[in-house]
Amino acid sequence: MSSELIIKNLHANIEGKPILRGVDLTVRQGEIHALMGPNGSGKSTLSNVIMGNPKYEVVEGEIWFKGENILEYSPDRRARMGLFLAFQYPMSIPGVSVANFLRRALEAVREGNKPLEEGENPTGQVSKRKKTMPPGEFRKLLQEKMRLLKVDNSFINRAINDGFSGGEKKRAEILQMALLQPQIALMDETDSGLDIDALRIVSESVNALTGPNLGILLITHYQRMLNYIKPDFVHVMFDGRIVKSGGRELALELEEKGYEWLKPVDEENGVTADA
Amino acid sequence: MLNTLAPGFSRAALEELSRQRSEPEWLLALRLQAWDIYERTPAPLGRRGDLGTLRAVSNFKFQDLKPFTPVEQDAVQPDFIERALQDSLLSERSGQIVQLNSGVIHTELREELKQQGVILTDLDTAVREYPELVREYFMTNCVPVATSKYTALHAAFWTGGFFLYVPRGVVIEEPILAQVWLDRPLTATFSHTLIIAEEESSVRIVEEYNSNVAGEDPSLLSDVVEVHAKREARVEFSNLQDLGQNIWNITDKNALYGQDGSVTFVTADLGSKVNLETVGAGLSGNGSAGELVGVFFTDHDQRFAIHTLSDHIGLSTNAETLVKGVLTDNSRVEFDGMIRVRPHAQQTASFLSAHGLMLSGRARGEFIPGLEIAANEVSASHGATSGQIDEEQLFYLMVRGIPRAEAERIVVQGFFEPVLQRIPLETLRIRLRRGIINRMSGASESEADTWLDAQERWEIEGVDEVAVQLGGNPNDEEIKLSEY
Repeated sequence: MSSELIIKNLHANIEGKPILRGVDLTVRQGEIHALMGPNGSGKSTLSNVIMGNPKYEVVEGEIWFKGENILEYSPDRRARMGLFLAFQYPMSIPGVSVANFLRRALEAVREGNKPLEEGENPTGQVSKRKKTMPPGEFRKLLQEKMRLLKVDNSFINRAINDGFSGGEKKRAEILQMALLQPQIALMDETDSGLDIDALRIVSESVNALTGPNLGILLITHYQRMLNYIKPDFVHVMFDGRIVKSGGRELALELEEKGYEWLKPVDEENGVTADA
Repeated sequence: MLNTLAPGFSRAALEELSRQRSEPEWLLALRLQAWDIYERTPAPLGRRGDLGTLRAVSNFKFQDLKPFTPVEQDAVQPDFIERALQDSLLSERSGQIVQLNSGVIHTELREELKQQGVILTDLDTAVREYPELVREYFMTNCVPVATSKYTALHAAFWTGGFFLYVPRGVVIEEPILAQVWLDRPLTATFSHTLIIAEEESSVRIVEEYNSNVAGEDPSLLSDVVEVHAKREARVEFSNLQDLGQNIWNITDKNALYGQDGSVTFVTADLGSKVNLETVGAGLSGNGSAGELVGVFFTDHDQRFAIHTLSDHIGLSTNAETLVKGVLTDNSRVEFDGMIRVRPHAQQTASFLSAHGLMLSGRARGEFIPGLEIAANEVSASHGATSGQIDEEQLFYLMVRGIPRAEAERIVVQGFFEPVLQRIPLETLRIRLRRGIINRMSGASESEADTWLDAQERWEIEGVDEVAVQLGGNPNDEEIKLSEY
């Protein structure tokens, strides 16, 4: 069975304030979806809620992945099931080398989720016994991915995202994606903060990873990244809902006409909602 | 004949102690004088609104403790000490001295060092054989008897103790390992370390405090460390305190510096129920340099109060104080770090930073830096913070598949790593990483080891793995953690 991410009528709040107001979306392995929309429309919130960021409260709706409702699962468990998020603002973690971090992440993801034992907390504890990966094997794999993405070797000795430039952070995210081989990847404004050369390199890196085993939800403001990464579907988000979906041509239409024409009318007040 | 003294501190107990040990008159006089100071000095109570550690110590039932527990004749080193020695990873060492409760039970020093005039012995022996050195340096101007009520008690009741004398120009490469062990409940152990490093000498000492005391009953370890670093002497003193959480530890450590002398203190405090710690640097020699690297980890109901003082007295002195610690459960830590620049201490450079990371909402930390500057040609900076672990960092790691508990350990590891890198002795760094992570891991110890092994492997790798060709710049093959 191919892996599907199915979002049904998803409502989510942050600090009591509604951000998502009923999102419906399905992303399958092998498909590339672009999610567009103006600032504050809820795109980043959607990616955070899919991964289970505890800052957000899901008040209604469901998120299904591989036939399981994952709403109650911890973020790490979702990741081990094959979901991935490339962050818009990757966190820096001083003092922890990229190499160590990637190794631990890879071991965790490869271990996956063991069936729950009696009485075990369903929020994603991995088993206590851990298979470690031979260091040579890990390094070989890492080198292979780094070569593929044209990432400099010095990356792996540095602390995670600490002192990285904007472009380096985004490339480090893609490197992680290449290594962890998710089935569905959410890419949150991976194009933001990149100059035109960096955008091309990052986009080529993503293209090198696409194929029948990877589904992508590409979140972006602008059409420009879609010049490099060709989406199968384009969705427009406005005020916490997907207001329009279409094919690749929709992105071009947006480029030309902006978002205003898609602005929904607020049913309750009878006035145009303020995004 | 040595007998265990009945519980309670008193003048009579003190006289009995000194008589049993056939001590010289001058030493008894010193003890009695210290006892008088103890009796008339009030216990420090801290200030209003602090976390109450000093007050807790003042309420400690000192009178329930036996002041002296002699070493049995021909005592053998207990198994747990033997095992701990293996754990200490210090296979290469210049000497070793072990105190169990009130007495030193083992001393060894490399023969060639003895021939160079190095002295490593218990303080009792030093009193007999080198009385002039003891009288000159023991609790006179480095940690004076009257420093506090507790140092006065220490001066009155000390037994055992370590004495290290390094003659002029002697350089001791491998560390000397000193260990203090407590294995009795309701006893007081007083350990004293007196280090005299003569001009242009160099020595590193690793001192470990451990206990093996069953039950809930408290015991006390009162220790004083005095370091005299003469002109151009270099002393590195590392202290790993891993006492059980039924031990109260009151510790005063200070160094006095000759011209261009340098002393590095490393303090790693993992254990004890209550830890009242004072670490000082009396930078009187022109051009002298002091360094303090402090690491702590507290859990359960542990309470620490850590005071540091960089006391700049001479011309052109440097000091650097770096303290980092993690607090969890209901533990409390008060840190109070002072930079004092005296009049005429021109060209001083002093830096202090202290950071606490709290893993539990119930843990409390107070980190207060202080500056007193009475000279005008000074460069000094300080920073002290404490805060909760960053949820966004944890989320980031978890989104990569790493479970929360392990993500916390990774963040903690990263928090400590820059300070650990400042610890000169590699074996101590490795032990500390292991000690800290094992304290956090709870049920899943093997997980922690996996991560640590990986960390260590990366450090030593880069020399093997011929099979993996990295391409690009060949210099990149070196995989070293020290680079960040």
